[in-house]
Amino acid sequence: MPLTDLDRSLYEWQLDVPGFGESGQEKLRSSTALISRAGGLGGPLAFSLAAAGIGKLVIAHAGDLRLDDLNRQILMRHDDVGKPRAESLAATLRAFNPQVEVEVIPENITEANAAELVAKADIVFGAAPLFEERFLMNRECVRQGKPLIDCAMFSLEGQILPIVPGQTPCLACLYPEIPEHWKRRFPVIGAVSALAANIGAMEGIKLLAGFGEVSLNRMIYFDTATMRFQQIQVQRNPDCAVCQHVSL
Amino acid sequence: MMPLMGQVNFSYTGQLAAAAGVAEVVLDFSDDAVPLRRVLDELASRHGSKWGELIFDDAGQVRSTLLVIFDGAQVSGDKEDLTLDGVKSVMLMTPIAGG
Repeated sequence: MPLTDLDRSLYEWQLDVPGFGESGQEKLRSSTALISRAGGLGGPLAFSLAAAGIGKLVIAHAGDLRLDDLNRQILMRHDDVGKPRAESLAATLRAFNPQVEVEVIPENITEANAAELVAKADIVFGAAPLFEERFLMNRECVRQGKPLIDCAMFSLEGQILPIVPGQTPCLACLYPEIPEHWKRRFPVIGAVSALAANIGAMEGIKLLAGFGEVSLNRMIYFDTATMRFQQIQVQRNPDCAVCQHVSL
Repeated sequence: MMPLMGQVNFSYTGQLAAAAGVAEVVLDFSDDAVPLRRVLDELASRHGSKWGELIFDDAGQVRSTLLVIFDGAQVSGDKEDLTLDGVKSVMLMTPIAGG
């Protein structure tokens, strides 16, 4: 679908980005992204995708905003405390860019809904705090051949792993089982989660719009304690229980 | 920190750095082909049981979820059999999720 005059005005500054242009904008506008969890990662991710003009966002999250969420959930407000997080995020997104369709799923990713939710999207962003949910999304993305941008944070560090089934390692290639010591509660400063989210958003935008160089087979790692940024070469596990039989 | 000849820079991320209280140590080796497993045992003694539990499972084997990075590239294969032959930097990463 060609861009409208409103699109050209709204996205004028990014249409000049080399390699992006009207073609990239059209691809982005015809794309749907699923974001698992509306937290410190999922919120800024959704915001940047909305700003860039993605066509539709599907936000999956169960639960209400708590006061101690507000150090990193920068799209929500004090008077949202006690209200459903995904609805608060959706309201902010709709006010920010009415061009973007936002669907709220008031559930976290589960065995029962993973296939259906991944099927709604062209790309999935993993921003859940629990590996059980991340692994479900990973398995479904591999099964359905959908790209997954896995975003993670801890303290002052972030990791972003773009996964293209058959082309890159999947999450289970790197972590063949649920990490025993990972806890739901972890230290973090909001600027770190927003940074990881925005790097993840940019990787997704490049994948969808077909420009730039996506960090395939390279995990992006950063540590804001030292401002060290690096790309770590990662590889598929030929014995991976999830993706060993998938090829391009 | 740039390692000198014979030195290997070990860096930790996430929970490993938190458990060790440091994100980096530099070790001197006179032998090139030092087994990684031997170094991990020594580091576990140095950093304490919490760090060791993140590295080793209940059977005393290197955890399957530990990412071992040699000079910027993930190492595949049995982590028990790796040696530091010519390696200048080792990064040990435990999984993180966030949300």
